[in-house]
Amino acid sequence: MTQDMRTQYKGRVLAVKNLPTLPKVLEEVTRLMEDPNTSTEQIAKLITFDQVLSAKVLKMVNSPIYGFPGRISSIQHALVLLGFNVIRGLIISTSVFDDMNKAMVGLWEHSVGCALASGEVAKTLGLKDPEEYAVAGLLHDLGKVVSAVQLPEIKPELENLVKTKDITFLQAEKELLGFGHDRVNAWLAEHWNLPPNISEAISYHHKPLSAQHYTKYACVVHIGNFLTRVFEYGNGGDDNVPVLQPHTMKLLGLNQRMLESILDKLSDAFLEVSDLGFS
Amino acid sequence: MHPSMTEQGPLQAFLISADDCFVRQVQGIWPTQEIQWTIFSRAGAAVEQLLTDPPALLVTDAVLPDMSGETLVTLVKSENVYRQVPTVLCMPRKVLYGETDWSQMEADDIILAPFEDQEFKARVELTLNRMSRSLDANPLTRLPGNTTIIQFIKDNIARKRDFALGYADLDNFKAFNDKYGFSRGDEALMMAARIIVNTVRSFPGPLSFVGHVGGDDFVFALPLETVEPACKRLVAAFDAIVPSFYDEEDRERGSIVSKDRKGQTQTFPLMAISIAVVCNRNGSLNHYAQASAIAMQLKKKAKEDPRSNYVIDQRKA
Repeated sequence: MTQDMRTQYKGRVLAVKNLPTLPKVLEEVTRLMEDPNTSTEQIAKLITFDQVLSAKVLKMVNSPIYGFPGRISSIQHALVLLGFNVIRGLIISTSVFDDMNKAMVGLWEHSVGCALASGEVAKTLGLKDPEEYAVAGLLHDLGKVVSAVQLPEIKPELENLVKTKDITFLQAEKELLGFGHDRVNAWLAEHWNLPPNISEAISYHHKPLSAQHYTKYACVVHIGNFLTRVFEYGNGGDDNVPVLQPHTMKLLGLNQRMLESILDKLSDAFLEVSDLGFS
Repeated sequence: MHPSMTEQGPLQAFLISADDCFVRQVQGIWPTQEIQWTIFSRAGAAVEQLLTDPPALLVTDAVLPDMSGETLVTLVKSENVYRQVPTVLCMPRKVLYGETDWSQMEADDIILAPFEDQEFKARVELTLNRMSRSLDANPLTRLPGNTTIIQFIKDNIARKRDFALGYADLDNFKAFNDKYGFSRGDEALMMAARIIVNTVRSFPGPLSFVGHVGGDDFVFALPLETVEPACKRLVAAFDAIVPSFYDEEDRERGSIVSKDRKGQTQTFPLMAISIAVVCNRNGSLNHYAQASAIAMQLKKKAKEDPRSNYVIDQRKA
């Protein structure tokens, strides 16, 4: 991969304007916004079920226009700071790509699963602000969505490569493009002024020990991603369970007993969300 | 009609033109209770009076016997004390197709002759509005400043409307500013402004208003019955969000180490919001100064608690 090619891909990725959103979530948020009795908590909860809406909200609140770039990593806080007016504007400007949605339902489920799992790991460990770990989990594969939209010609080749060579999606991306979705995440996080905890978590979820300042975030999302795949909840683009780096458990102080309790809670939580229905 | 007309008598305006026909047309647009024109046929005659007793509006012809209207406008606008005078330049339509560099034009608006009375009226009133908004807005948050706040309060007292007035400021803002610097301080103020605006707006009502007095002082108004839930929501939102504005280690510790007013090292808790609420029930407030005096007393009470809190004025009319 030449540097020129990479710069060109980066440019195309960052030019992203529209990302597909789950029609169901979008409809439901729209309905809630019309009801004057709706609280920000209700809307925030719904938005955290959609990685694209969540990313949009965080991108907006962390933009220099509001005067505090890189500060806000909670959807609930973002909604308080943006206000209903702006949220309504965001919803209006969000489109539904039906074909894309069908092809990506697996990824959506996987992302929501990872959000739940990351939040649960953080809660079990007694970490501060567990919902911010959940947001990081939700957004950990955002790069895959953005690449699919911005580099549509690459998608079938990637899928083909994963199938024929039986490799992970990340390996296929690296083979074909020279970089993975983790790199795309890093570009997006920088371009959108996302806070450093979210940025490091989504950029290093495959190699969490390389995260410099927010190693805990990267480790939690790494484990969240692993657990979601173990449960086979959703699909990240391949059939493999990513390798769990044992050092991450040590670093977080996560023991067997805790892991079992997380697994128990997750199996209930996954059952609950599947009612939401993504198709 | 623009509110600045008639509030304290008619608006005092200067009209500078040697064209009698134009002068008569302009004079006929507003009744004399709204705008009182002082007419000058030459720029020179107007300048001295302009500098000693600036008008609330300046309308000048582009072509004058002794200098160009543009030169006159530049003279007025280049001095900071006269900059706020709303200034409208009238010129023949053909100027549009000439060489004028509009980016260098100091006038606040232009009117092209010939024009209709309605067009002239609309342009002038829009200019007055624009000027009052842009001059009073806080440069950081763009919220309305003191002039608008005082006007709003006076107006509601005069109408004897029931309303609650919240005076909010941040505890330990100075320590935050001192430790992290002005630009981080501005971030915190922007955050506070957004929280106040969105919380106040989430309670519908004709009274919802937010102003920025300056620094970490904000004012908001709400109907009496919604002010308490609004304060609760404000306090909760502020406390939830404020830790994001601290460095990781300070957030973990829940405090910062900075210097106090005497230069001694001290530990300060995270910022909190204090709100004093003054109520106008059945016309209990007589004038603006009374509202701010009561607010300052309540503020002392609110400040006794280092955490975020609010104190509501319970006086009965």
